[in-house]
Amino acid sequence: MRTHNRKRAFIAIALIGLMMLSTLWAAGSQEQKKQEGPIEVTFWSLFTGGDGEFFDAMVDEFNRTHTDIVAKTDTVKFDNYYTKLTTALSAKNAPDVVVVHQSNLLGYVPRGVFLSLDDLLAKNNAPLDDFVAAPLEAVKYDGKTYALPLDVHALIMYYNMDLFAEAGITKVPQTYAEVIAAAQAVQAKTGAMGLAVDNTTATYKAYTLTRLFMSMLEQQGTSFLNADNSKANFNNVAGEKALKALVDMVQVHKTTPAGLDYDGAVNAFRLGKAAIHFNGVWATGSFEKQTGLNFKAVGLPPMLGKPAAWSGSHTLAIPVQRTQDPAKLDAALTFILWMTEHGDMWAKAGHIPTRHSVYEKESFTSLPHRKDYADAASFAFAPPATPAWEEVYSTTSDMLEYAVAKNQNVKTALQAMETKINSIIASY
Amino acid sequence: MAIPGNKDTRDGIIFALPFLLVYLVFMVFPLGFGLFISFFNWDILSSGAFAGWANYRRLFQDELFFSSLWHTVEFVLITTPVLMVLGFSMALLVTGNSPLRKVSENVFFIPYILSMTVVGTLWAWLMQRDYGLLNQIVRQLGGEPVGWLTNPKQAMWSVGIATYWWTAGFNMILFSAGIKQISKEIYESSQIDGANYFQTLFRITIPLVKPTAALCLILQVIASFNVFGQVYVMTGGGPHGRTRVLTQYIYEAGFRYFKMGYSAAMAYMLFLIILVISVIQYAALGKERS
Repeated sequence: MRTHNRKRAFIAIALIGLMMLSTLWAAGSQEQKKQEGPIEVTFWSLFTGGDGEFFDAMVDEFNRTHTDIVAKTDTVKFDNYYTKLTTALSAKNAPDVVVVHQSNLLGYVPRGVFLSLDDLLAKNNAPLDDFVAAPLEAVKYDGKTYALPLDVHALIMYYNMDLFAEAGITKVPQTYAEVIAAAQAVQAKTGAMGLAVDNTTATYKAYTLTRLFMSMLEQQGTSFLNADNSKANFNNVAGEKALKALVDMVQVHKTTPAGLDYDGAVNAFRLGKAAIHFNGVWATGSFEKQTGLNFKAVGLPPMLGKPAAWSGSHTLAIPVQRTQDPAKLDAALTFILWMTEHGDMWAKAGHIPTRHSVYEKESFTSLPHRKDYADAASFAFAPPATPAWEEVYSTTSDMLEYAVAKNQNVKTALQAMETKINSIIASY
Repeated sequence: MAIPGNKDTRDGIIFALPFLLVYLVFMVFPLGFGLFISFFNWDILSSGAFAGWANYRRLFQDELFFSSLWHTVEFVLITTPVLMVLGFSMALLVTGNSPLRKVSENVFFIPYILSMTVVGTLWAWLMQRDYGLLNQIVRQLGGEPVGWLTNPKQAMWSVGIATYWWTAGFNMILFSAGIKQISKEIYESSQIDGANYFQTLFRITIPLVKPTAALCLILQVIASFNVFGQVYVMTGGGPHGRTRVLTQYIYEAGFRYFKMGYSAAMAYMLFLIILVISVIQYAALGKERS
């Protein structure tokens, strides 16, 4: 009886052990497979919806034209990309290449989880001078390069040509006064919305307000934060002018409805019910698909001075691994360089390429709209390089949204923002 | 009780072992680890620095912590009473004699099966101010479009409405189980005595379903305090942070701003608050019963 029992217990434990082992086995055999045949480069990307299909097409093309390297995504699309990425990076089992926004990249870099690419780039003779200077500069931290920019996605201006014609506007508005005048003319003559700018958070945060605010500061020759990114730098005349421009749009000129959220703004323009729309270049793709929408996309007008536009950038970075295989690193870099070199395929999603050579390709110049705003890359600026940026960015968006919604006195609003932003930066 | 030669305890442990291991690794360990890191400044990616009580001290000076906590309490107050009444009313309908009983049981419960993301996205679009279905109806009826999710006065209620639709079915299941446990004889004898529907409802059903109601209330308050998904998907905490709840702030502090220690400290404060409220509820309701 006793031995029988012991046998049963043993079988039970053995079975449990076997179940656990088999999962380990599966993981182990995957590791082994990588040694034979072409080198496998795994990557994660955060593109869903519209962008995603173009990115997948590029990866397919890469795999078709390369026999020695296979690029593979080892996961499905994420609900929450950065949470997964952070945990993977901390466990040092992130894939070989990851897509990271430039603004997020700099939050990670000081933690030493991304490989500094300078040696690898030199070893492989990477054509760095083919890259547009501003986005390449934006992926550097303390003088070292931590990623290569895949694109620039700047804030641009979309306008509806039919509504402009109906309102008798022949010149593309450049100054703030001209933008407002055009918007008001359209509203008076056609009844359509003048200026579709999202100013309220619903499913998306009202980031457009921060992007415009930062752009308007740069247009006046000043920046959102001070030179070493340690303090807010907007509680001044330039800041007052920029914030007033945003508040007045809604509260004084009434060219933008209060309570307009991102979906509302995008759809108003897409359905031809708004004359002017400020948004990132990524909206181009969906506007193009809309039949009957006759629009133009141009660089952000220099509303308060010289040309300057907020921009983000998708970058490709290499996470630090427990053991770094040199052959794999070369393959990863080959993949990254190939992706940036084929920015014409990526431009179909609306993004601006980062390589000079792409601008000359027929396949790029033949795309509609893209070249109209391609020069935006030359006056695009990147968000400040500070680990505090994510928190500063979302807090600023909340506070600008509040100021616009409540028609706050600009001095009071800027004072409160300055105090808050400084305390956030100090907490890092 | 025990069969001779049978080692019940040992066998019990062996059978529970697979679950226990998972439970230890994914529940008990994170709980302890969370408390541990709340005393550190840690960004997940590099090694942390001991901070003592600094994270807890900072929390008491953080306006955003208090406003988020208040929004959470607001959500609890908005949802709990309605969900209790709604769940009970639904349970009455599905345990009664109505011919729609079977259909309505399914209709009421199906939303609960859907994932939070699906429910949130669905309601966010229904409530979209300019193109949502609800405002289309409002316009048809000649009204002004409502800023369901964009008006600071209504946003939290709108999230509440989506939550009613989503989770009332769960309370219904609890309540209908409670109602079904009431012995049929009590109803029969009251019928013989000539009691009408409302007399039966208020004199028999409600008093006898009280233990279930107590359980339901405690579970509901805990669930509402932990609200996250609906708010995150539907309003993103907006307009201008008006619906940012504490769990959202905890999530943002930890996984977006990399302040894991501070995030854990806030999570433990929330845990303490829920613990105290649950104990008070339990004691109060228990006293009433005895």
